[in-house]
Amino acid sequence: EKMASKIHVVLRPVKSIVVRFCPFESNVESTRNFLGCINHKKIQATNKNCEVTADVRHDGSEPLVDVMFVDGDRLIMKGANLTTTEMLTALGTRCNAKEIKEEQKSKKKSP
Amino acid sequence: LSSPLPSGLSLPVPLSAGWLPALQLVRRGSKAVTRHWKAMHFQRQKLMAVTEYVAPRPAIPPRCLPPKKEAEVVEEDNGYVRLLQRQVEEAFRDNRMIAVCQYNSMPGEDMVLLRHYLRKHNIEVKFFLNEIVRPVLSQSKYRNLLPLFVARNILLVSRETKAKEMLRVLKAVPQVNLLGACIDDTILSRQGVENFAKLPSLEVAQGQAVGALSLLPSQTSSLLQRSSAHLTALLDQHIRRLQEGKEESPAQPSPAQSPQGAH
Repeated sequence: EKMASKIHVVLRPVKSIVVRFCPFESNVESTRNFLGCINHKKIQATNKNCEVTADVRHDGSEPLVDVMFVDGDRLIMKGANLTTTEMLTALGTRCNAKEIKEEQKSKKKSP
Repeated sequence: LSSPLPSGLSLPVPLSAGWLPALQLVRRGSKAVTRHWKAMHFQRQKLMAVTEYVAPRPAIPPRCLPPKKEAEVVEEDNGYVRLLQRQVEEAFRDNRMIAVCQYNSMPGEDMVLLRHYLRKHNIEVKFFLNEIVRPVLSQSKYRNLLPLFVARNILLVSRETKAKEMLRVLKAVPQVNLLGACIDDTILSRQGVENFAKLPSLEVAQGQAVGALSLLPSQTSSLLQRSSAHLTALLDQHIRRLQEGKEESPAQPSPAQSPQGAH
């Protein structure tokens, strides 16, 4: 739990996040924790334009996290067998990579 | 007791039996009890070494024995836990509508506003820890609500079932997501709650049911009388035609009457 809130994710390159799960299933704990952590003040403060939607269904489908990035990339994480930390680190590494790319681009444009 | 002598100075040997020196010189003037650490006399060192504490060791090290199973480590003698569980049971008993929502951290003022709006519709917001709620639920009849109580949750309890207003308030708050509800001892999913909100109110539904049910009996009397009414109508028409026939042709009463009479 504490690990999950310590992983700081910079959400600037992210456009929207959709978290879909069925609460009556038993494999949704990590996805729900992920949703809770993403809604933390610090992470939300990095990008106020990022929309986080929670889709609550009752059709026995597996938990899903759908991340749309600003440059058109899409990250789909099926949380049935993933832990919260894994999901957060995966998202974090991709966000950092995109940040670095953007910084390099902006440096090239304005030398 | 003679003062212990530091090394470096030997006892002055008595010159003759019975003669002891008047003075016993002590080097550097340090006494028995000093502020600095002073080495013990060798004899005392030996005594201390011999009388050191030896811890008793069990014959068989505890690792080799079969593990002691600590059954029921955490018993609920904790009165606070019991009180909270009683509160949970009360909440489930007294309220007709209980909704479980996922709670992602919200700023404090939004929380206060949310509580205010829900209070207006007589809905209370309650926080309970999952570890307290789970044993209560598993023993009651709400076993199917168990998988809902994972991660941070919030309970909205109310004595009335105002699902529409609750949904409207919750839609305005994106950080609280409705997971499921138990309304009048019926467990509903989010979809179920939305459908329930769309239903007409109880009085309207009752009126509709009564109207539908009373539609058929109102027709029974007319149904039963229909055959005899039909017959009377036919006979009436027949009589009318006869009378018209009489008025039109009073000149031919008998031949018009006889074939009609035969019918």
